[in-house]
Amino acid sequence: MWIFTILSEFIVHCIFLGGILLTLFGFVLSFIPFIGKYRIPLQILGLLTLVFGAFLEGGLADNKEWELKVKEVEAQVAKVETQSAEKNIEIQEKIVTKTKVLKEKGDEVIKYIDREVVKKEEVIKYIENCPVPQDIIDAHNAAATLNNAVKDKK
Amino acid sequence: MKFLSIILIAVVISSCSMFKQPVPVVPKFPNATPDLMKKCENLKQIEGDKVSIGDMLKVIVTNYTLYYECSTKVDGWQDWYNEQKKIYESIKK
Repeated sequence: MWIFTILSEFIVHCIFLGGILLTLFGFVLSFIPFIGKYRIPLQILGLLTLVFGAFLEGGLADNKEWELKVKEVEAQVAKVETQSAEKNIEIQEKIVTKTKVLKEKGDEVIKYIDREVVKKEEVIKYIENCPVPQDIIDAHNAAATLNNAVKDKK
Repeated sequence: MKFLSIILIAVVISSCSMFKQPVPVVPKFPNATPDLMKKCENLKQIEGDKVSIGDMLKVIVTNYTLYYECSTKVDGWQDWYNEQKKIYESIKK
């Protein structure tokens, strides 16, 4: 509430208290001669101040509750941001580990091909007699570059 | 006096409800992990005129590896989304 940026809490309480006192003077203590003379203006002023003070008190209470809520949400957001960062680290570690294992396994298979498969007599004979036809290579390469077709469409 | 107290309570309540405003705190959009932001590599092609079945096999194995690396990233993105959503929804509105 913008009004609380210019009015301190103390002033709000003073207005409310002032309203109560003025109303008391206006209604209850009107038998005192001095007050009795200004009874009507005092009553009007007292009531107006009291109503305005009550309005401000309500706003102040609401404002305090709102500030509390803001602090609560700020604390929650800070907690959530920490959780999010922790989860990110966890996910990153998982990806790094999986990728590392995959690379190692892939390298192992390639090494196995070089070490074992290519040296088998049956395979040597096959390699000597049957080079891979260009059409098969082209078909493989076309499949491997399918993504380029999608890029061209964009 | 009874009438006055009713009016006062009404004014206090009206002031309470009149200035309801949203809480101005918004959580920051979470960053994705660096590995998730890397693009998947293109698949390798078989190069050369006279290609042996062994060389072809190696390229195929490399491509399988690349596929699984990329699929790990997709899994990572799904994990990331689900976890961040869960965390975001844990904030009481």
